[in-house]
Parts: sequence; structure tokens; C-alpha cells
Amino acid sequence: MSTSDTDQKVSHGHTGFFATLVALWLVVGAVILYFAMAASGEDQAIQWTQSLNPGGWMAWVLPTALFFWIVAGILVVFTILAIRYPETPKLGVLGIETTRGDRLFISLLIAGFVNLAWLGLDLGPQYLALVVSFVIAGGVFRYA
Amino acid sequence: MKTDNQRAWLLVLPVLVLVAFSAVIPLMTVVNYSVQDTFGNNQFFWAGLEWFRDQLHSERMWDALWRQLAFSGIILAIEVPLGVFVALNMPKKGVWASVVLVLMSLPLLIPWNVVGTIWQIFGRSDIGLLGYTLDQLGVDYNYTQGFYSAWATVIAMDVWHWTSLVALLAYAGLQSIPDAYYQAARIDQASRWAVFRYIELPKMRGVLTIAILLRFMDSFKIYTEPFVLTGGGPGNSTTFLSIDLVKMALGQFDLGPAAAFSLMYFLVIMVISYVFYIVMTNLDKEDGQ
Repeated sequence: MSTSDTDQKVSHGHTGFFATLVALWLVVGAVILYFAMAASGEDQAIQWTQSLNPGGWMAWVLPTALFFWIVAGILVVFTILAIRYPETPKLGVLGIETTRGDRLFISLLIAGFVNLAWLGLDLGPQYLALVVSFVIAGGVFRYA
Repeated sequence: MKTDNQRAWLLVLPVLVLVAFSAVIPLMTVVNYSVQDTFGNNQFFWAGLEWFRDQLHSERMWDALWRQLAFSGIILAIEVPLGVFVALNMPKKGVWASVVLVLMSLPLLIPWNVVGTIWQIFGRSDIGLLGYTLDQLGVDYNYTQGFYSAWATVIAMDVWHWTSLVALLAYAGLQSIPDAYYQAARIDQASRWAVFRYIELPKMRGVLTIAILLRFMDSFKIYTEPFVLTGGGPGNSTTFLSIDLVKMALGQFDLGPAAAFSLMYFLVIMVISYVFYIVMTNLDKEDGQ
């Protein structure tokens, strides 16, 4: 690779890469939207429980599709953050050095267990488990 | 100067494709199945969180989990001290060191289903050496019918298969201790126990942590060996998590509950793997200092 080529790449920064990531994410969102609209039928209501690909073995439904889409979105945001604003790992209450990504991973894991505990112990409506998960995630990002 | 060449991404592409097909797409499918019900023919019906609620309240699932934890606990309690003991008594150098190393690694090279078959035959009272001997000694041993016989055999099988791993790791840890430490201990007239407690054990800490985590993770996911040996029986007494999972998913074709079950299983494995990762990176850092 020639020097000028390298220079050019550096001056561009990572914007091209970021744009590709975001664009990919938006394309996936558009695909989900397309299938959701196709499944909605004539009354145009959102079909939360209908199969997005009837007869397909992957058995997509809108809630799971949105779940993965949102997780992918979070990963895109954190990838961009990690490159744009690199950080040194810090030592928190967990006694381990964590970066932003580690804290996200820990938060997601805890969210999984909180939701299961909520369901298993019959603690009430499931959206409250999400609220609790967000509170804990806030704590993890602040103190872990 | 920092170069920034996006073409490197192309080199990762094969791995990404492989992981997508071997892990990401199946995982997504399992998530989809866990919120739906099916009667076959790729027809799915929404079930919401019902399967998760179902599994979390299922006695069968909790029983399998406790059995699993008991199994992992017992084999760790045997394999780790035994592995360390074996490593301490292995020859340090010379021809015998190599011979013992090869012999120790033999069980690790045997495929898991073969290990199961070996023990299945070994434990039979008509043609198996172990079963026949115990039978002749008057011990009531039958791993297909007795709860304790089945557990003892499954545990003995795992100990036979995997103690070598702990021993080899501990041996590697021991080999890395410089002679000067032992010389200093001799000058101080340290007892054998003191040498072990203050020199060998601290030096083996890293490899032993790795061994414990590896063995815990592997035993937590164990399937093939008990499946071949006992098939989860007698009754459900050796039905560990993965055996129960396969029974549910493939035996009963309850894809929804099995998917919910496996996602919870997956979460636990993720936590263990993460702890493993943290420990490994911390050990690397300590080595780097």
C-alpha cells in the first residue's frame, strides 16, 4: 500500500466504516419492516404473534426479530463508541478491570437472569423486570 | 503512523460466515422456537413466555440441575486433589517422565462415546472385569438398575477420563518452579507439607484455576459418556441437563420448552465462560508483569 493511500484512509477516519455498520443495521431494519408489513394483512395492524416467514424453519416472529435488531443496534453503537472514544479499562466494585463493552456484556447477562428470576418467582408483569434490568445496568456502568 | 486498512475485514469474513452458520443462526432459531409452539411441519404458534415460565416451575428441570451440580461438584472434589497428587508423584525428568506423560494423555485422546462404551463393558457383570469382580466379591453392583452403582460408575468414568488433564496442567505448573525455590526450602529445613503449601501450591494457582474452570464447564455440559453408559437411568437418576434437554427436544419433540431450557442453560454457560475469560486475561497480565 502506498503512503498516499494510507494518508487518505487516515484522513477519512472511520466514517466509512461507521456508515457501513449503520447502513447494514438499517437495511436489516427495513427487511424486518417489510416482512412485518407483509404479515399485517389488510387491516394494516401490527401482527405481533404471526409468523413473519410462514413455513420457514427459522420461525421468525416480530418480537424476536426486534429483539435481535435492538441487540445488533446496541453492538453497532458500542463498536462506534469503542473506536471513536477509546478508553482505558477501569477497576470497579467487581474487582475486575472493565471497559464499556465489558460493562455492556455484564449488564446484558444480568438482565437475562433478572428476567428469568422475575418469571420464575412470579414477581409481576415482565416489563418491570426490564425496568429493574435498566436500573442495574445503570449501576453496572457507573460502578463496575 | 497508524494505518487504517479496511481490507483486513475480508480476512475475517470466512470466520464470520462459519460462526454465523454454526452458532448465530442456530441460536436465533432457538430463541424463535422458545416463544412458540409447533406440532411439526414448520407451523408455529405464538406461546409468549409460557415455556420459560413452564421450565422455571418444572420440577424435572430443577432436579436435572441439582443432579448436574452434584455431579460437577463431586468430580471436581475428586479430580483436582487426585490430579495434583498424581502430578506431585510424576517423574520430573528422564525417560520415565516422557513415558508417564504419554500414558497420562492416553485417556484424553479417546473419543467420548468410546469412553462410554469401554465403561459400559467394563462394568457388566457377565463379561466386564469390574462388574464381574465386584459381583464375585458379593457387592450388589449393577449400573443399569442401582442408583448408587450408576452414579459411582459415571463418576469413576469421568475421573478416569479427565484426571489426567488436571494432572498434566498441575505438572506443567510444577515444572515451571525453579530449583532455587526447593534449595531455599531445604536450607530452611522446610517440611514436605510446607514446601507444598508455600511453594508448589501458589505456583500452581494459575493452572489449577484453569483446570477447575475447564473441568467445571466440561462436566456441566457432559452428554456423551453418561448417555452411552446409562442413557440417563436408572429412571432419571443420571439424567443430567444435556441428556434431559435432548430427551425433551428430540425424544418428545417439545421444541418450545426445550428451546427455553437450552437458553437458560446457555446463560449459565455464558457466565462460566466469562469468568473463565476474566481469570485467563488476569493471569496473562500477572505473567506479563
